[in-house]
Amino acid sequence: MNLGWKEIKRNKIRFVILGSIVFLVSLLTFMISGLANGLSQDNAALIKNLPDGTLYLEAEAEGNYSFSSIDSEFQEDLLAMSDEVTAFSIQMGFVDDQDDKQHSVAFVTSTASDDFAHADHGEVILDQSLKEDGIAVGDILTNQQFDGELEVVGFVEESKFSHAPVAYINIQDYQDMYRTESLQILYTPEEQAAINTEHLQAYSPAEFLNTIPSYQAEQLSLNMIIWFLVVISGMLFGIFFYMMNVQKIGLYGILKAVGVKTSALFKMIWLQMLLITIIALAFSISLSHLFNLFAPAGMPFHLTAITTIQLSVIFLIIGFAGATISGFQIKKAEPLQAIQQGES
Amino acid sequence: MTILTLENIHKTFKNGDVEEEILKGISLSLKQGEITALTGASGSGKSTLLTIAAGLQPPTSGHIYFESHDLAELKPDQIRHIRASQFGFVFQFAHLVPFLTVEEQLIFMLDVSDSKQNKQQRAAEIKRLLELVDMEHRRTAYPASLSGGEKQRIAIARAMVHQPTILFADEPTASLDSKRSKEVMTLMRNLTKELGITTLMVTHDQDTMAYADHMIEMKDGCLSQPV
Repeated sequence: MNLGWKEIKRNKIRFVILGSIVFLVSLLTFMISGLANGLSQDNAALIKNLPDGTLYLEAEAEGNYSFSSIDSEFQEDLLAMSDEVTAFSIQMGFVDDQDDKQHSVAFVTSTASDDFAHADHGEVILDQSLKEDGIAVGDILTNQQFDGELEVVGFVEESKFSHAPVAYINIQDYQDMYRTESLQILYTPEEQAAINTEHLQAYSPAEFLNTIPSYQAEQLSLNMIIWFLVVISGMLFGIFFYMMNVQKIGLYGILKAVGVKTSALFKMIWLQMLLITIIALAFSISLSHLFNLFAPAGMPFHLTAITTIQLSVIFLIIGFAGATISGFQIKKAEPLQAIQQGES
Repeated sequence: MTILTLENIHKTFKNGDVEEEILKGISLSLKQGEITALTGASGSGKSTLLTIAAGLQPPTSGHIYFESHDLAELKPDQIRHIRASQFGFVFQFAHLVPFLTVEEQLIFMLDVSDSKQNKQQRAAEIKRLLELVDMEHRRTAYPASLSGGEKQRIAIARAMVHQPTILFADEPTASLDSKRSKEVMTLMRNLTKELGITTLMVTHDQDTMAYADHMIEMKDGCLSQPV
Protein backbone atom coordinates (compact mmCIF):
# COMPACT_ATOMS: atom_id res chain seq x y z
CA MET A 1 0.00 0.00 0.00
CA ASN A 2 1.24 3.42 -0.87
CA LEU A 3 1.03 5.38 2.38
CA GLY A 4 2.33 8.58 0.79
CA TRP A 5 -0.36 8.66 -1.86
CA LYS A 6 -3.07 7.78 0.67
CA GLU A 7 -2.00 10.72 2.83
CA ILE A 8 -2.06 13.10 -0.13
CA LYS A 9 -5.57 11.91 -1.05
CA ARG A 10 -6.78 12.35 2.52
CA ASN A 11 -5.11 15.74 3.10
CA LYS A 12 -5.57 17.29 -0.33
CA ILE A 13 -5.67 20.92 0.78
CA ARG A 14 -2.43 20.68 2.72
CA PHE A 15 -0.58 19.24 -0.28
CA VAL A 16 -2.30 21.53 -2.78
CA ILE A 17 -1.04 24.51 -0.76
CA LEU A 18 2.53 23.19 -0.84
CA GLY A 19 2.19 22.32 -4.54
CA SER A 20 0.90 25.83 -5.28
CA ILE A 21 3.85 27.43 -3.53
CA VAL A 22 6.30 25.19 -5.41
CA PHE A 23 4.44 26.01 -8.63
CA LEU A 24 4.70 29.76 -8.00
CA VAL A 25 8.35 29.62 -6.98
CA SER A 26 9.29 27.42 -9.95
CA LEU A 27 7.25 29.58 -12.34
CA LEU A 28 9.02 32.68 -11.06
CA THR A 29 12.35 30.89 -11.46
CA PHE A 30 11.57 29.89 -15.05
CA MET A 31 10.37 33.41 -15.86
CA ILE A 32 13.45 35.07 -14.39
CA SER A 33 15.64 32.48 -16.06
CA GLY A 34 13.90 33.24 -19.37
CA LEU A 35 14.46 36.92 -18.74
CA ALA A 36 18.13 36.36 -17.85
CA ASN A 37 18.64 34.31 -21.00
CA GLY A 38 16.70 36.86 -23.03
CA LEU A 39 18.79 39.74 -21.71
CA SER A 40 21.93 37.69 -22.24
CA GLN A 41 20.89 37.08 -25.86
CA ASP A 42 20.00 40.73 -26.21
CA ASN A 43 23.38 41.70 -24.86
CA ALA A 44 25.62 39.18 -26.54
CA ALA A 45 23.87 37.01 -29.13
CA LEU A 46 26.57 38.00 -31.64
CA ILE A 47 29.22 36.29 -29.51
CA LYS A 48 27.02 33.55 -28.00
CA ASN A 49 25.94 32.33 -31.42
CA LEU A 50 29.54 31.83 -32.54
CA PRO A 51 30.70 28.19 -32.58
CA ASP A 52 32.98 27.25 -29.66
CA GLY A 53 36.37 28.79 -30.18
CA THR A 54 38.78 31.41 -28.90
CA LEU A 55 38.65 35.19 -29.13
CA TYR A 56 41.79 37.32 -29.03
CA LEU A 57 42.16 40.96 -28.05
CA GLU A 58 45.25 43.08 -28.11
CA ALA A 59 47.04 42.41 -24.82
CA GLU A 60 47.36 46.13 -24.09
CA ALA A 61 43.58 46.54 -24.32
CA GLU A 62 43.35 44.78 -20.91
CA GLY A 63 40.12 43.01 -21.71
CA ASN A 64 38.31 45.98 -23.20
CA TYR A 65 37.47 45.15 -26.81
CA SER A 66 36.89 48.81 -27.73
CA PHE A 67 40.53 49.59 -26.87
CA SER A 68 41.83 46.63 -28.84
CA SER A 69 43.54 47.19 -32.16
CA ILE A 70 45.14 44.22 -33.91
CA ASP A 71 48.17 45.20 -35.92
CA SER A 72 47.03 45.00 -39.56
CA GLU A 73 50.25 43.38 -40.81
CA PHE A 74 50.08 40.74 -38.09
CA GLN A 75 46.43 40.22 -38.93
CA GLU A 76 47.24 39.78 -42.64
CA ASP A 77 49.95 37.23 -41.83
CA LEU A 78 47.58 35.20 -39.66
CA LEU A 79 44.77 35.28 -42.22
CA ALA A 80 47.21 34.20 -44.91
CA MET A 81 48.30 31.22 -42.80
CA SER A 82 44.79 29.94 -42.11
CA ASP A 83 41.39 30.67 -43.59
CA GLU A 84 39.80 29.56 -40.28
CA VAL A 85 40.89 32.78 -38.58
CA THR A 86 38.45 35.67 -38.67
CA ALA A 87 39.17 39.26 -37.72
CA PHE A 88 36.24 41.43 -36.78
CA SER A 89 35.29 44.69 -35.12
CA ILE A 90 32.32 45.95 -33.16
CA GLN A 91 31.48 49.63 -32.77
CA MET A 92 28.38 51.05 -31.18
CA GLY A 93 26.71 53.69 -33.33
CA PHE A 94 23.55 54.97 -35.00
CA VAL A 95 21.88 54.80 -38.39
CA ASP A 96 19.31 57.26 -39.66
CA ASP A 97 16.46 55.92 -41.75
CA GLN A 98 14.70 57.64 -44.62
CA ASP A 99 12.46 59.52 -42.15
CA ASP A 100 15.57 60.75 -40.30
CA LYS A 101 14.66 58.54 -37.40
CA GLN A 102 17.73 57.43 -35.50
CA HIS A 103 18.30 53.78 -34.56
CA SER A 104 20.98 52.56 -32.19
CA VAL A 105 23.02 49.70 -33.71
CA ALA A 106 26.24 47.79 -33.19
CA PHE A 107 28.26 48.02 -36.40
CA VAL A 108 30.08 44.78 -37.10
CA THR A 109 32.49 44.06 -39.88
CA SER A 110 34.66 41.04 -40.45
CA THR A 111 37.03 39.39 -42.83
CA ALA A 112 35.48 36.61 -44.93
CA SER A 113 33.79 34.15 -42.58
CA ASP A 114 30.78 31.82 -42.47
CA ASP A 115 30.09 32.95 -38.90
CA PHE A 116 29.42 36.60 -39.80
CA ALA A 117 26.98 38.01 -42.36
CA HIS A 118 28.80 39.55 -45.32
CA ALA A 119 27.73 42.87 -46.79
CA ASP A 120 29.17 44.38 -49.98
CA HIS A 121 30.31 47.96 -50.25
CA GLY A 122 27.34 50.29 -49.65
CA GLU A 123 25.18 47.53 -48.21
CA VAL A 124 24.05 46.68 -44.69
CA ILE A 125 22.51 43.53 -43.20
CA LEU A 126 20.51 44.15 -40.03
CA ASP A 127 19.19 42.19 -37.11
CA GLN A 128 15.54 41.40 -37.71
CA SER A 129 14.42 43.39 -34.64
CA LEU A 130 14.82 46.53 -36.76
CA LYS A 131 11.99 45.28 -39.00
CA GLU A 132 9.63 46.21 -36.14
CA ASP A 133 10.96 49.76 -36.38
CA GLY A 134 9.66 49.87 -39.94
CA ILE A 135 12.95 49.24 -41.76
CA ALA A 136 12.63 47.03 -44.83
CA VAL A 137 14.90 45.57 -47.52
CA GLY A 138 15.80 48.28 -50.02
CA ASP A 139 15.69 51.12 -47.49
CA ILE A 140 18.60 53.52 -47.52
CA LEU A 141 20.27 54.27 -44.21
CA THR A 142 22.85 56.92 -43.42
CA ASN A 143 25.38 57.58 -40.71
CA GLN A 144 26.85 60.89 -39.65
CA GLN A 145 30.41 59.52 -39.74
CA PHE A 146 29.95 57.95 -43.17
CA ASP A 147 29.76 59.95 -46.36
CA GLY A 148 28.06 57.25 -48.40
CA GLU A 149 24.75 55.47 -48.01
CA LEU A 150 23.93 51.99 -46.79
CA GLU A 151 21.24 49.99 -48.54
CA VAL A 152 19.46 47.37 -46.46
CA VAL A 153 19.93 44.05 -48.32
CA GLY A 154 18.73 41.61 -45.70
CA PHE A 155 18.04 40.68 -42.13
CA VAL A 156 19.52 38.06 -39.83
CA GLU A 157 17.97 36.41 -36.77
CA GLU A 158 19.16 36.91 -33.19
CA SER A 159 22.18 39.04 -33.80
CA LYS A 160 22.48 41.58 -31.05
CA PHE A 161 25.29 43.13 -29.08
CA SER A 162 25.09 45.31 -25.98
CA HIS A 163 21.28 45.44 -26.28
CA ALA A 164 21.52 46.91 -29.79
CA PRO A 165 20.73 45.20 -33.09
CA VAL A 166 23.81 44.34 -35.13
CA ALA A 167 24.37 46.10 -38.46
CA TYR A 168 26.80 44.10 -40.64
CA ILE A 169 28.72 46.43 -42.96
CA ASN A 170 31.51 46.00 -45.45
CA ILE A 171 35.07 46.25 -44.13
CA GLN A 172 35.82 49.14 -46.50
CA ASP A 173 32.78 51.09 -45.28
CA TYR A 174 33.83 50.37 -41.70
CA GLN A 175 37.31 51.74 -42.37
CA ASP A 176 35.78 54.87 -43.89
CA MET A 177 33.42 55.26 -40.99
CA TYR A 178 35.96 54.82 -38.18
CA ARG A 179 39.12 55.98 -40.00
CA THR A 180 41.10 52.86 -39.04
CA GLU A 181 42.78 50.06 -40.95
CA SER A 182 42.98 47.63 -38.08
CA LEU A 183 40.26 45.42 -36.61
CA GLN A 184 39.72 44.74 -32.91
CA ILE A 185 39.16 41.04 -32.39
CA LEU A 186 40.47 37.77 -33.77
CA TYR A 187 38.35 34.64 -33.65
CA THR A 188 39.47 31.06 -34.22
CA PRO A 189 37.14 28.05 -34.10
CA GLU A 190 37.76 25.26 -31.60
CA GLU A 191 39.68 22.97 -33.97
CA GLN A 192 42.12 25.73 -34.88
CA ALA A 193 45.49 25.74 -33.08
CA ALA A 194 45.91 28.52 -30.54
CA ILE A 195 47.64 31.74 -31.56
CA ASN A 196 50.58 32.19 -29.27
CA THR A 197 51.93 35.68 -29.12
CA GLU A 198 52.58 38.07 -26.31
CA HIS A 199 50.73 40.79 -28.21
CA LEU A 200 47.38 39.02 -27.88
CA GLN A 201 45.27 37.93 -24.94
CA ALA A 202 43.06 34.85 -25.49
CA TYR A 203 39.46 34.66 -24.20
CA SER A 204 36.87 31.93 -24.26
CA PRO A 205 33.46 33.20 -25.47
CA ALA A 206 32.23 33.10 -21.83
CA GLU A 207 35.23 35.16 -20.69
CA PHE A 208 34.76 37.56 -23.55
CA LEU A 209 31.11 38.11 -22.59
CA ASN A 210 32.28 39.44 -19.25
CA THR A 211 34.26 42.14 -21.05
CA ILE A 212 30.97 43.56 -22.33
CA PRO A 213 30.03 46.50 -20.10
CA SER A 214 27.09 45.61 -17.77
CA TYR A 215 26.88 42.00 -18.98
CA GLN A 216 28.37 40.47 -15.84
CA ALA A 217 26.47 42.72 -13.44
CA GLU A 218 23.18 42.06 -15.24
CA GLN A 219 23.61 38.29 -15.36
CA LEU A 220 25.03 38.04 -11.86
CA SER A 221 22.04 39.74 -10.25
CA LEU A 222 19.52 37.68 -12.25
CA ASN A 223 21.35 34.42 -11.59
CA MET A 224 21.51 35.28 -7.93
CA ILE A 225 17.71 35.66 -7.89
CA ILE A 226 17.34 32.31 -9.67
CA TRP A 227 19.55 30.50 -7.17
CA PHE A 228 17.83 32.16 -4.24
CA LEU A 229 14.49 30.92 -5.57
CA VAL A 230 15.87 27.41 -5.99
CA VAL A 231 17.22 27.42 -2.44
CA ILE A 232 13.90 28.85 -1.16
CA SER A 233 12.01 26.01 -2.83
CA GLY A 234 14.33 23.49 -1.14
CA MET A 235 13.77 25.17 2.20
CA LEU A 236 10.02 25.16 1.59
CA PHE A 237 10.11 21.39 1.21
CA GLY A 238 12.33 21.06 4.24
CA ILE A 239 10.11 23.23 6.44
CA PHE A 240 6.85 21.73 5.15
CA PHE A 241 7.92 18.13 5.68
CA TYR A 242 9.58 19.05 8.98
CA MET A 243 6.28 20.46 10.27
CA MET A 244 4.39 17.43 8.99
CA ASN A 245 6.94 15.05 10.47
CA VAL A 246 6.84 16.78 13.86
CA GLN A 247 3.06 16.33 13.87
CA LYS A 248 3.43 12.68 12.90
CA ILE A 249 6.33 11.76 15.15
CA GLY A 250 4.02 9.71 17.39
CA LEU A 251 2.53 7.92 14.41
CA TYR A 252 6.00 7.13 13.09
CA GLY A 253 6.93 5.67 16.47
CA ILE A 254 3.84 3.43 16.46
CA LEU A 255 4.47 2.36 12.86
CA LYS A 256 8.05 1.48 13.77
CA ALA A 257 6.76 -0.47 16.78
CA VAL A 258 4.49 -2.62 14.61
CA GLY A 259 7.40 -3.33 12.29
CA VAL A 260 7.35 -0.70 9.54
CA LYS A 261 10.83 -0.11 8.14
CA THR A 262 12.32 3.38 8.58
CA SER A 263 13.19 3.26 4.88
CA ALA A 264 9.50 2.74 4.05
CA LEU A 265 8.68 5.98 5.90
CA PHE A 266 11.41 7.82 3.99
CA LYS A 267 10.03 6.42 0.73
CA MET A 268 6.65 7.82 1.75
CA ILE A 269 7.91 11.42 2.01
CA TRP A 270 10.11 11.05 -1.08
CA LEU A 271 7.11 9.95 -3.09
CA GLN A 272 5.08 12.88 -1.79
CA MET A 273 7.88 15.31 -2.62
CA LEU A 274 8.31 13.78 -6.08
CA LEU A 275 4.60 13.90 -6.89
CA ILE A 276 4.14 17.47 -5.72
CA THR A 277 7.26 18.71 -7.48
CA ILE A 278 6.50 16.96 -10.77
CA ILE A 279 2.93 18.25 -10.88
CA ALA A 280 3.99 21.79 -9.86
CA LEU A 281 6.82 21.74 -12.42
CA ALA A 282 4.50 20.45 -15.15
CA PHE A 283 2.25 23.47 -14.61
CA SER A 284 5.04 26.01 -14.33
CA ILE A 285 6.93 24.64 -17.35
CA SER A 286 3.76 24.68 -19.47
CA LEU A 287 2.92 28.23 -18.45
CA SER A 288 6.44 29.62 -18.85
CA HIS A 289 6.84 28.00 -22.29
CA LEU A 290 3.46 29.33 -23.36
CA PHE A 291 4.72 32.73 -22.33
CA ASN A 292 7.91 32.06 -24.29
CA LEU A 293 5.78 31.45 -27.38
CA PHE A 294 3.48 34.43 -26.98
CA ALA A 295 5.74 37.00 -25.29
CA PRO A 296 5.86 40.36 -27.10
CA ALA A 297 8.56 40.33 -29.81
CA GLY A 298 10.52 43.17 -28.22
CA MET A 299 10.64 41.51 -24.82
CA PRO A 300 13.99 39.94 -24.01
CA PHE A 301 12.64 36.51 -22.97
CA HIS A 302 14.37 33.36 -24.07
CA LEU A 303 13.64 30.09 -22.26
CA THR A 304 15.30 27.02 -23.76
CA ALA A 305 14.40 23.37 -23.23
CA ILE A 306 17.89 22.71 -21.83
CA THR A 307 17.57 25.48 -19.22
CA THR A 308 14.11 24.17 -18.30
CA ILE A 309 15.38 20.60 -17.88
CA GLN A 310 18.41 21.75 -15.89
CA LEU A 311 16.31 23.86 -13.52
CA SER A 312 13.71 21.08 -13.15
CA VAL A 313 16.40 18.56 -12.20
CA ILE A 314 17.83 21.07 -9.70
CA PHE A 315 14.34 21.58 -8.23
CA LEU A 316 13.93 17.83 -7.83
CA ILE A 317 17.36 17.45 -6.22
CA ILE A 318 16.77 20.37 -3.86
CA GLY A 319 13.27 19.09 -3.01
CA PHE A 320 14.69 15.65 -2.34
CA ALA A 321 17.39 17.13 -0.10
CA GLY A 322 14.85 19.27 1.81
CA ALA A 323 12.51 16.33 2.34
CA THR A 324 15.36 14.01 3.33
CA ILE A 325 16.88 16.41 5.86
CA SER A 326 13.46 16.94 7.45
CA GLY A 327 13.04 13.14 7.38
CA PHE A 328 15.74 12.76 10.01
CA GLN A 329 12.84 13.32 12.41
CA ILE A 330 11.66 9.87 11.34
CA LYS A 331 14.93 8.33 12.46
CA LYS A 332 14.50 9.99 15.84
CA ALA A 333 10.95 8.64 16.30
CA GLU A 334 11.03 6.29 19.29
CA PRO A 335 8.49 3.44 19.36
CA LEU A 336 8.61 3.24 23.14
CA GLN A 337 7.97 6.95 23.59
CA ALA A 338 5.11 6.84 21.07
CA ILE A 339 3.43 3.93 22.83
CA GLN A 340 3.52 5.73 26.16
CA GLN A 341 2.12 8.95 24.68
CA GLY A 342 -1.52 9.63 23.94
CA GLU A 343 -3.30 9.32 20.62
CA SER A 344 -1.24 10.77 17.75
CA MET B 1 3.74 -25.64 24.04
CA THR B 2 5.94 -22.75 25.15
CA ILE B 3 5.99 -19.89 22.67
CA LEU B 4 8.09 -17.27 24.43
CA THR B 5 10.53 -17.67 27.26
CA LEU B 6 12.07 -14.86 29.23
CA GLU B 7 15.15 -15.91 31.16
CA ASN B 8 16.73 -13.92 33.94
CA ILE B 9 15.84 -10.50 32.47
CA HIS B 10 17.51 -7.50 34.03
CA LYS B 11 16.93 -3.92 32.99
CA THR B 12 18.84 -1.00 34.40
CA PHE B 13 18.31 2.65 33.53
CA LYS B 14 20.89 5.32 34.14
CA ASN B 15 19.62 8.57 35.53
CA GLY B 16 22.66 10.80 35.65
CA ASP B 17 25.15 9.02 37.85
CA VAL B 18 22.42 6.95 39.48
CA GLU B 19 21.63 3.50 38.13
CA GLU B 20 18.12 2.24 38.72
CA GLU B 21 17.33 -1.42 38.27
CA ILE B 22 13.78 -1.72 36.93
CA LEU B 23 13.74 -5.48 36.29
CA LYS B 24 15.62 -7.79 38.62
CA GLY B 25 16.12 -11.16 37.01
CA ILE B 26 12.67 -12.03 35.71
CA SER B 27 11.96 -15.39 34.12
CA LEU B 28 8.65 -16.52 32.69
CA SER B 29 7.15 -18.56 29.86
CA LEU B 30 4.11 -17.98 27.69
CA LYS B 31 2.18 -20.98 26.43
CA GLN B 32 0.37 -21.17 23.14
CA GLY B 33 -3.14 -19.76 23.08
CA GLU B 34 -3.04 -18.54 26.66
CA ILE B 35 -3.68 -15.04 27.89
CA THR B 36 -1.24 -13.93 30.55
CA ALA B 37 -1.94 -10.74 32.43
CA LEU B 38 0.92 -8.77 33.97
CA THR B 39 -0.30 -6.70 36.83
CA GLY B 40 1.23 -4.60 39.53
CA ALA B 41 1.52 -1.10 40.87
CA SER B 42 2.65 1.78 38.76
CA GLY B 43 6.43 1.68 38.36
CA SER B 44 6.66 -2.03 39.12
CA GLY B 45 8.22 -2.63 35.70
CA LYS B 46 5.36 -4.44 33.94
CA SER B 47 5.32 -2.21 30.84
CA THR B 48 9.12 -2.37 30.62
CA LEU B 49 8.93 -6.16 30.76
CA LEU B 50 6.28 -6.22 28.01
CA THR B 51 8.32 -3.97 25.71
CA ILE B 52 11.44 -6.08 26.27
CA ALA B 53 9.48 -9.29 25.56
CA ALA B 54 8.15 -7.64 22.37
CA GLY B 55 11.64 -6.67 21.19
CA LEU B 56 10.95 -2.96 21.48
CA GLN B 57 13.92 -2.44 23.75
CA PRO B 58 16.81 -4.72 24.71
CA PRO B 59 17.33 -6.08 28.21
CA THR B 60 20.48 -5.10 30.08
CA SER B 61 21.06 -8.81 30.50
CA GLY B 62 19.10 -12.00 30.06
CA HIS B 63 17.55 -13.91 27.17
CA ILE B 64 14.27 -13.80 25.27
CA TYR B 65 13.69 -17.03 23.39
CA PHE B 66 11.19 -17.04 20.58
CA GLU B 67 11.13 -19.81 17.96
CA SER B 68 14.74 -20.82 18.58
CA HIS B 69 15.92 -17.19 18.38
CA ASP B 70 17.24 -15.19 21.29
CA LEU B 71 15.86 -11.71 20.63
CA ALA B 72 18.62 -10.26 22.80
CA GLU B 73 21.15 -11.53 20.27
CA LEU B 74 19.39 -10.48 17.06
CA LYS B 75 20.11 -7.38 14.99
CA PRO B 76 17.51 -4.56 15.10
CA ASP B 77 16.25 -5.32 11.58
CA GLN B 78 15.81 -9.02 12.39
CA ILE B 79 13.81 -8.06 15.50
CA ARG B 80 11.77 -5.60 13.42
CA HIS B 81 10.97 -8.40 10.97
CA ILE B 82 9.78 -10.64 13.82
CA ARG B 83 7.67 -7.81 15.23
CA ALA B 84 6.08 -7.21 11.83
CA SER B 85 5.33 -10.82 10.98
CA GLN B 86 4.95 -12.69 14.29
CA PHE B 87 3.84 -10.14 16.85
CA GLY B 88 0.69 -8.09 17.18
CA PHE B 89 0.32 -4.97 19.29
CA VAL B 90 -2.60 -3.32 21.04
CA PHE B 91 -1.79 -0.18 22.98
CA GLN B 92 -3.63 1.97 25.49
CA PHE B 93 -4.66 4.21 22.58
CA ALA B 94 -5.62 2.81 19.20
CA HIS B 95 -2.93 4.75 17.31
CA LEU B 96 -4.58 4.17 13.93
CA VAL B 97 -3.09 5.76 10.83
CA PRO B 98 -5.30 8.88 10.44
CA PHE B 99 -5.32 8.91 6.65
CA LEU B 100 -6.26 5.26 6.15
CA THR B 101 -9.78 3.87 6.21
CA VAL B 102 -10.69 1.03 8.54
CA GLU B 103 -10.19 -1.50 5.76
CA GLU B 104 -6.90 0.08 4.70
CA GLN B 105 -5.54 -0.14 8.26
CA LEU B 106 -5.76 -3.91 7.95
CA ILE B 107 -4.43 -4.06 4.39
CA PHE B 108 -1.50 -1.92 5.50
CA MET B 109 -0.70 -4.30 8.37
CA LEU B 110 -0.79 -7.25 5.97
CA ASP B 111 1.71 -5.37 3.76
CA VAL B 112 3.96 -4.64 6.73
CA SER B 113 3.93 -8.30 7.76
CA ASP B 114 4.86 -9.41 4.20
CA SER B 115 1.72 -11.53 4.09
CA LYS B 116 1.83 -14.08 1.31
CA GLN B 117 -1.94 -14.10 0.90
CA ASN B 118 -3.29 -13.20 -2.51
CA LYS B 119 -5.78 -10.38 -3.02
CA GLN B 120 -8.88 -12.55 -2.64
CA GLN B 121 -7.55 -14.25 0.48
CA ARG B 122 -6.70 -10.88 1.97
CA ALA B 123 -10.11 -9.47 1.20
CA ALA B 124 -11.81 -12.51 2.74
CA GLU B 125 -9.63 -12.36 5.86
CA ILE B 126 -10.24 -8.64 6.32
CA LYS B 127 -13.98 -9.10 5.85
CA ARG B 128 -14.06 -11.94 8.35
CA LEU B 129 -12.07 -9.99 10.91
CA LEU B 130 -14.16 -6.85 10.50
CA GLU B 131 -17.27 -8.94 11.00
CA LEU B 132 -15.74 -10.46 14.13
CA VAL B 133 -15.07 -7.01 15.58
CA ASP B 134 -18.46 -5.86 14.30
CA MET B 135 -16.99 -3.10 12.17
CA GLU B 136 -17.76 -4.35 8.66
CA HIS B 137 -20.28 -1.53 8.23
CA ARG B 138 -17.54 1.05 8.95
CA ARG B 139 -14.92 -0.36 6.58
CA THR B 140 -14.64 2.86 4.55
CA ALA B 141 -14.64 5.17 7.58
CA TYR B 142 -11.58 7.14 8.65
CA PRO B 143 -10.40 7.05 12.30
CA ALA B 144 -11.53 10.63 12.89
CA SER B 145 -15.15 9.52 12.55
CA LEU B 146 -14.86 6.53 14.91
CA SER B 147 -15.61 6.43 18.63
CA GLY B 148 -12.91 5.39 21.12
CA GLY B 149 -14.36 1.89 21.41
CA GLU B 150 -14.60 1.49 17.64
CA LYS B 151 -11.01 2.63 17.23
CA GLN B 152 -9.81 0.10 19.77
CA ARG B 153 -11.75 -2.66 18.03
CA ILE B 154 -10.00 -1.74 14.79
CA ALA B 155 -6.67 -1.66 16.64
CA ILE B 156 -7.38 -5.22 17.81
CA ALA B 157 -8.32 -6.30 14.30
CA ARG B 158 -5.13 -4.69 12.96
CA ALA B 159 -3.06 -6.49 15.58
CA MET B 160 -4.49 -9.85 14.55
CA VAL B 161 -5.08 -9.60 10.82
CA HIS B 162 -1.70 -11.11 9.99
CA GLN B 163 -2.37 -13.90 12.48
CA PRO B 164 0.56 -13.21 14.79
CA THR B 165 2.00 -15.82 17.11
CA ILE B 166 1.92 -13.46 20.08
CA LEU B 167 -0.26 -10.49 20.90
CA PHE B 168 1.23 -7.84 23.19
CA ALA B 169 -1.38 -5.62 24.79
CA ASP B 170 -0.38 -2.66 26.95
CA GLU B 171 -3.36 -1.43 29.00
CA PRO B 172 -5.73 -2.08 26.06
CA THR B 173 -8.79 -0.79 27.89
CA ALA B 174 -7.28 2.11 29.82
CA SER B 175 -8.79 4.74 27.55
CA LEU B 176 -12.28 3.18 27.51
CA ASP B 177 -15.25 3.28 29.84
CA SER B 178 -16.26 0.08 31.63
CA LYS B 179 -18.91 -0.92 29.06
CA ARG B 180 -16.49 -0.48 26.14
CA SER B 181 -13.74 -2.19 28.15
CA LYS B 182 -15.90 -5.29 28.55
CA GLU B 183 -16.73 -5.32 24.86
CA VAL B 184 -13.12 -4.94 23.84
CA MET B 185 -11.81 -7.59 26.25
CA THR B 186 -14.52 -10.09 25.30
CA LEU B 187 -13.62 -9.51 21.70
CA MET B 188 -9.90 -9.85 22.34
CA ARG B 189 -10.33 -13.05 24.31
CA ASN B 190 -12.65 -14.59 21.70
CA LEU B 191 -10.32 -13.71 18.86
CA THR B 192 -7.13 -14.91 20.51
CA LYS B 193 -8.81 -18.17 21.47
CA GLU B 194 -10.25 -18.67 18.01
CA LEU B 195 -6.97 -17.92 16.26
CA GLY B 196 -4.78 -19.65 18.88
CA ILE B 197 -2.82 -16.49 19.58
CA THR B 198 -0.73 -16.26 22.74
CA THR B 199 -1.30 -13.02 24.62
CA LEU B 200 0.79 -11.05 27.07
CA MET B 201 -1.24 -8.19 28.48
CA VAL B 202 -0.32 -5.45 30.91
CA THR B 203 -3.20 -4.17 32.99
CA HIS B 204 -3.95 -2.85 36.42
CA ASP B 205 -7.71 -3.08 35.93
CA GLN B 206 -9.36 -5.81 38.01
CA ASP B 207 -12.16 -6.38 35.50
CA THR B 208 -9.69 -6.82 32.65
CA MET B 209 -7.67 -9.35 34.66
CA ALA B 210 -10.71 -11.60 34.72
CA TYR B 211 -10.25 -12.31 31.00
CA ALA B 212 -6.74 -13.73 31.50
CA ASP B 213 -5.85 -17.41 31.89
CA HIS B 214 -2.91 -16.54 34.12
CA MET B 215 -2.04 -13.52 36.14
CA ILE B 216 1.44 -12.56 37.18
CA GLU B 217 1.92 -9.78 39.67
CA MET B 218 5.01 -7.67 39.59
CA LYS B 219 6.44 -5.77 42.49
CA ASP B 220 9.57 -3.63 42.48
CA GLY B 221 10.93 -5.25 39.33
CA CYS B 222 10.39 -8.84 40.50
CA LEU B 223 7.64 -11.37 39.94
CA SER B 224 5.61 -12.12 43.02
CA GLN B 225 3.62 -15.34 43.26
CA PRO B 226 1.10 -15.93 40.42
CA VAL B 227 -2.30 -14.81 41.69
